Amino acid sequence: MENNASLLDESPERITPKQGWVLTILACVGTTIIATPLLGYLDLANIVMLFLLTVLLVAVKLGRNAAILASILSVLLFDIFFVPPRFSLAVSNIQYLVTFAVMLVTALITAHLAAGLRQRARESQSREKRTQALYQFARELAGTLTTEQVVEISRSFIKMQLNAQSAILMPHPENESLMVVSSSESPLLEMHLAQVALKSGQLVRSDEVGGMGYAPLYLPLRASMRIRGVLAIRFADDVAEPSAETTSLLETLASLVAVAVERLHYVDVAQASEVKMLTERLRSSILSALSHDLRTPLTAMVGLADSLFLIKPALPATALETAQALHEQADRLAGLVGNLLDMARLNAGEVTLRREWQPLEEVVGAGIKLLGSALAAHPVKVELPRDLPLLEFDAVLIERVLCNLLENAAKYSPDGTPILLAAEQETDVVRVSISDHGPGFPAKRRDDLFKMFVRGESESGKPGTGLGLAICKAIVEAHGGTITADNRPDGGACVSFTLPKGVPPVVEEELA
Amino acid sequence: MNTTPAKVLIIEDEKQIRRFVRVAVEEEGCLVSEAETMSQGLIEAGSRKPDLLILDLGLPDGNGIDLIRDLRSWSDVPVLILSARSQENDKIDALDAGADDYLTKPFSVGELRARVRALLRRRSRSGEAASPVIEFGNVLVDMSRRLVTRDGEPVHLTPIEYRLLSALLAHPGKVLTQRNLLREIWGPSFIESSHYLRVYVGHLRQKLEDDPTQPTHLLTETGVGYRFQP
Repeated sequence: MENNASLLDESPERITPKQGWVLTILACVGTTIIATPLLGYLDLANIVMLFLLTVLLVAVKLGRNAAILASILSVLLFDIFFVPPRFSLAVSNIQYLVTFAVMLVTALITAHLAAGLRQRARESQSREKRTQALYQFARELAGTLTTEQVVEISRSFIKMQLNAQSAILMPHPENESLMVVSSSESPLLEMHLAQVALKSGQLVRSDEVGGMGYAPLYLPLRASMRIRGVLAIRFADDVAEPSAETTSLLETLASLVAVAVERLHYVDVAQASEVKMLTERLRSSILSALSHDLRTPLTAMVGLADSLFLIKPALPATALETAQALHEQADRLAGLVGNLLDMARLNAGEVTLRREWQPLEEVVGAGIKLLGSALAAHPVKVELPRDLPLLEFDAVLIERVLCNLLENAAKYSPDGTPILLAAEQETDVVRVSISDHGPGFPAKRRDDLFKMFVRGESESGKPGTGLGLAICKAIVEAHGGTITADNRPDGGACVSFTLPKGVPPVVEEELA
Repeated sequence: MNTTPAKVLIIEDEKQIRRFVRVAVEEEGCLVSEAETMSQGLIEAGSRKPDLLILDLGLPDGNGIDLIRDLRSWSDVPVLILSARSQENDKIDALDAGADDYLTKPFSVGELRARVRALLRRRSRSGEAASPVIEFGNVLVDMSRRLVTRDGEPVHLTPIEYRLLSALLAHPGKVLTQRNLLREIWGPSFIESSHYLRVYVGHLRQKLEDDPTQPTHLLTETGVGYRFQP
């Protein structure tokens, strides 16, 4: 207790206890010397007053212990030098014993009250000082722009106010392990104690490690949202057990630091999200501008090529063939542009799934209808079990997957051969597979098939960009499913993908 | 059949698209007028009283959806939307606002002419007394007697199935959005419960379509809604 009082006590008059004793004795002796010549003029009762005054002064100036000494000394000196018979402890009149008793009690009470007063005055003084210092500290923290500044300011504050070394540890943003922030003059640290403080949110203290140069005190930096880090303290004189006052100061300090750190964290978050927002806005405006700017001329090309058929009198057959080819090429170009834009969007993570519970059957029908003439040469056989549950997916995107896969199957298998679209339930997923009677996938590069711009046979004469399967993969994975390519045992390719079953909502049957 | 040629207004800012749309629509025997902007389009629509409006959603001076809302306050002329593929939400908004059908860019002249014909047919039909009997494929629906038969055999429909079917049949060729159908048949509190609609459309297909997985009359407009194709 005494030890730390001195740490906090900034009072200018520093009197050691020994000096205090000497001063007390001197004061009492002085009073005796001053009072002796007055004995003839003053009543003994008034001389008692002089002694009581001395005790009061000693109590105010030198504290409680000195005052108790002064009280006893005063009674003794009064007895020896003033009460007849003088120069002896003996008392002639028994009633002086009452005087002594009253004198002693009065002196002790005075001493006690005065010393208490003094103590409180000093306490409030030091509290005031500390409050001032904390205000100053808080103001400085409010102006900080980086975590390093926060650490530096708190380090110097703790050094000045508590004569202690300190370090601030914060969890790494990714792996959550504690790291020291800017480690100048940091004490040795017990990482596991710091971890405990971080996890429990409680002050952690260790008596054992204090002496070895390790910081014995670990305070969590508790902010409103979460614990932001740990403040480690090591006092210059290796005290492991700080006073209650010091602890409460440290706790206040830790919460100020925590608030400052949290503020900086949110400044970072706000800045990062602003940057991200701007980037995203830029990207989506580029994408939509691209898609608009590319589609408009393509639409015009397709339509204008078609309108050549409407010219009267009709154009020669060769010209119409050219017009048809123009239409087809523009259509293909539109498909490629669509694929590229979709891939860009999917890669940018920009696609928000509009997931809804729906039967697979519906999107299968819509997809087949959408492909229309592209499937003309291939009968599509659909085998969906009647008890297939509702699935939660984005219809537009899954339709795209089905279209891409069906289109591939049609493109790579001989005309007239059927394409099979089947689905089956597995434990947690529904597996949808599309198989054809084509040559199948080349064995070597099957894993690469789903990468961008990779095609089964690089030199194949079939048109394509190698984006179709990559888009399918991106879409299926966004739904939490997987996609695989395989060859069927009896020849032909089979691509299958899964969709998680989840818990479909109940559709109440009508009473009818 | 009306003998006067139908009047069609094209509102599209891209000159070349306007050009071939005009050629295609004129081929259907219509009188075509053009507008490049939304404001011009509204004036033309007011003064010429067209029988069909072909509207590009991305106009330079405003959103086509606002134009539809404005238009719907005083006219029920059919509206055909031209939009890009990635704009499902815009399509839905436009259809909810009162558009009748949409075409996704790029589209062929053939598709365009088919849609124009379908929408104009509704105009000519609105003059006649609506027949209580609707026929599609091998299905006959007698609205007056609430009777549905397939190949002459009566088909039992639940009340909701029947309501859904008649909602679809009431607007042949028109795309009805999910929200629209949910509100009409289940009520406003079911607008987010699209799975009801999907399940019941599935029931209807099971009962009325030859191949429910590849329907030819009760069509899905993926991500948008449904359409009855007579």
